[in-house]
Amino acid sequence: MKFEVHLNGADGAKKHTVELEPTPAGYRIALDGQEIDANAALVAPSTVSILIGGQSFEVHVTPEFDDHIKLQSGPHEFTAELRDPRAWKGRRHGTLEAEGRQQIVAPMPGKVIRLLVNAGDEVEVAQGLVIVEAMKMQNEIRSPKKGKVERLHVKEGQAVNAGEVLCVVG
Amino acid sequence: MFRKILIANRGEIAVRLLRGCRELGIHTVGVFSEVDRNALHVRLADEAYPIGPAASRESYLRIDRLVDVARKTGCDALHPGYGFLAENPALPRACAARGISFIGPPAEAMENMGSKTAGKQLARRADVPTVPGTDDPIENPEEVQALARRMGYPVLLKAVSGGGGKGMRIVPNDAAFAGAWRDASSEALNAFGDPRVFLEKYLVGSRHIEIQVFADTHGRVVSLGERECSVQRRYQKVMEEAPSPVMTPELRRKMGEAAVRLARAGGYVNAGTVEFLVDANLNFYFLEVNTRLQVEHPVTEQVTGFDLVKLQIAIAAGHRLPFTWETITPRGHAMELRLYAEDPDNNFFPSPGKILSRHAPTGPGIRLDEGVYEGYIVPMEYDPLLSKLIAWGNRREETISRLRRALEEYTITGIRTNVSLFRRLLTEPEFLRGEIHTKWLDELLARPRPPATPPRPGTEEAAVIAAALWHIDRANGSSKRNAEPPQAPSQWKMQGRREQLDRLP
Repeated sequence: MKFEVHLNGADGAKKHTVELEPTPAGYRIALDGQEIDANAALVAPSTVSILIGGQSFEVHVTPEFDDHIKLQSGPHEFTAELRDPRAWKGRRHGTLEAEGRQQIVAPMPGKVIRLLVNAGDEVEVAQGLVIVEAMKMQNEIRSPKKGKVERLHVKEGQAVNAGEVLCVVG
Repeated sequence: MFRKILIANRGEIAVRLLRGCRELGIHTVGVFSEVDRNALHVRLADEAYPIGPAASRESYLRIDRLVDVARKTGCDALHPGYGFLAENPALPRACAARGISFIGPPAEAMENMGSKTAGKQLARRADVPTVPGTDDPIENPEEVQALARRMGYPVLLKAVSGGGGKGMRIVPNDAAFAGAWRDASSEALNAFGDPRVFLEKYLVGSRHIEIQVFADTHGRVVSLGERECSVQRRYQKVMEEAPSPVMTPELRRKMGEAAVRLARAGGYVNAGTVEFLVDANLNFYFLEVNTRLQVEHPVTEQVTGFDLVKLQIAIAAGHRLPFTWETITPRGHAMELRLYAEDPDNNFFPSPGKILSRHAPTGPGIRLDEGVYEGYIVPMEYDPLLSKLIAWGNRREETISRLRRALEEYTITGIRTNVSLFRRLLTEPEFLRGEIHTKWLDELLARPRPPATPPRPGTEEAAVIAAALWHIDRANGSSKRNAEPPQAPSQWKMQGRREQLDRLP
């Protein structure tokens, strides 16, 4: 089977193609069109052990949203989007850059204990917007971008669910 | 000795207590809230009973329900663990009224020493040096602010019934006072049901060093030496070690004697911890007493060889302490890391959820005290402490290298953890030299992160291959799994095995 893997690591985004052909002893593996001396085995439900030319690696796989997965190898982390070229659905656009109007949502259920800004305030990147108390800790929700607080959707003392919009920064 | 003990707690400490009981051949009764049905402590207890909804106030903080379970199941003792009701004198009183032994100090000793202000007054009487500040909680913010101006900033506002940094604020200057007061008292009210706050001079660059004491009911009080807990993030201890890198035999003797004096003055019994601030000139100041077993007790266990939980149980059963202060010689060096379900890349936000896979480190000098397992859902309702990774070595350097090695082996997927924080911390030159103070970690985290060490050649290729293999397996596996549900083992067979395995009388 052939896959296109869009990998995001510490040094940026890269695109690879990988081909795995089952053989009696495992898989024949080709990376970016070239066959390599590698042996891959699923040793636990989400743990893959890989020997590349005798070098031993272990990678832990966690599914995230859509077709994105997280790959952990020791202290190193990658996120990847896996595409089966035969099931090409067209390119999705990344939504991770903090550009344009941003809805600031509660990352987990909790209670709004303090508003740090008012509607209409100019805010800097990483400036605190709202303090949400969850798991007995007070957590400051920060702005992902420089801009203006267009609307505040919550009041002090209000309970919020994960994903609920707290405010909008434009 | 007791026959059956109620474990009035949850999470890793409930598991730790169960293990101590099991080693002593004592039956255990666990309790659980609605979201904790599948918790490890419920699985490991001999018996377990529901005590109410997820909110602690309606379950783990309900003295009536806990005592009721203890009475109905025939428990002769109750262990509160730490947190929840561990330092609430109403619990030992309720136990006493029902003829149940409380494994901890008597209610009077908690009152004499437990609250931060009462502890300071006692320390003055016992001739133990204290940090300058108010002895009594002050209700009126204007009065406190006036005092803060006289004392000179920075000052510290602290919740009278606080702990773990909740309800605590450093006030750098007069302008920040009003906001800090409001935050501290509202946080204190939410966390402890008590909004009272008091004032202390803030000592810049000091260390947090605490002394573990034990007192039996026959009048013997001993110190088990110190733990250094200066590595803190927002007043929360993150890692602890023993011995302290700055400790000298002379200072250890002086601090130990001061702690024992204080425990005697307060009529203390069982395990307690006397916390001190130690300045750069090795002057020490009394901070507060924790009238319970501490989260970081394993550090002392590793260097003394004593099982503190079993000692607690023995003392509550009226036994004498089997050693004297002179006979205790700490051996080697121990360190504990508190692994939390929180995201260090996102302002340490709690990250509850399902643990999809997990590989726990083992091997020489490694101990893992935890309440989680693969497939466990970390609930959002409680403190997100997952595990305590403890290492022991002959020297501090060996302990650190064991922790580094263990963290390389440790993997957990599905939730975010603060493991990367420790990977960084354990390589920081200041930490390696032992040059730490209570704000050191906060300052470190405010500095730009050093560039990550690049992955070894081949890591990226391995990740790509893993992604593909995982995808193939999931595409094949999910349909196969649905078609063939695994055979459930016979309950008759399981019960028969369980009875044969049950060695306890």
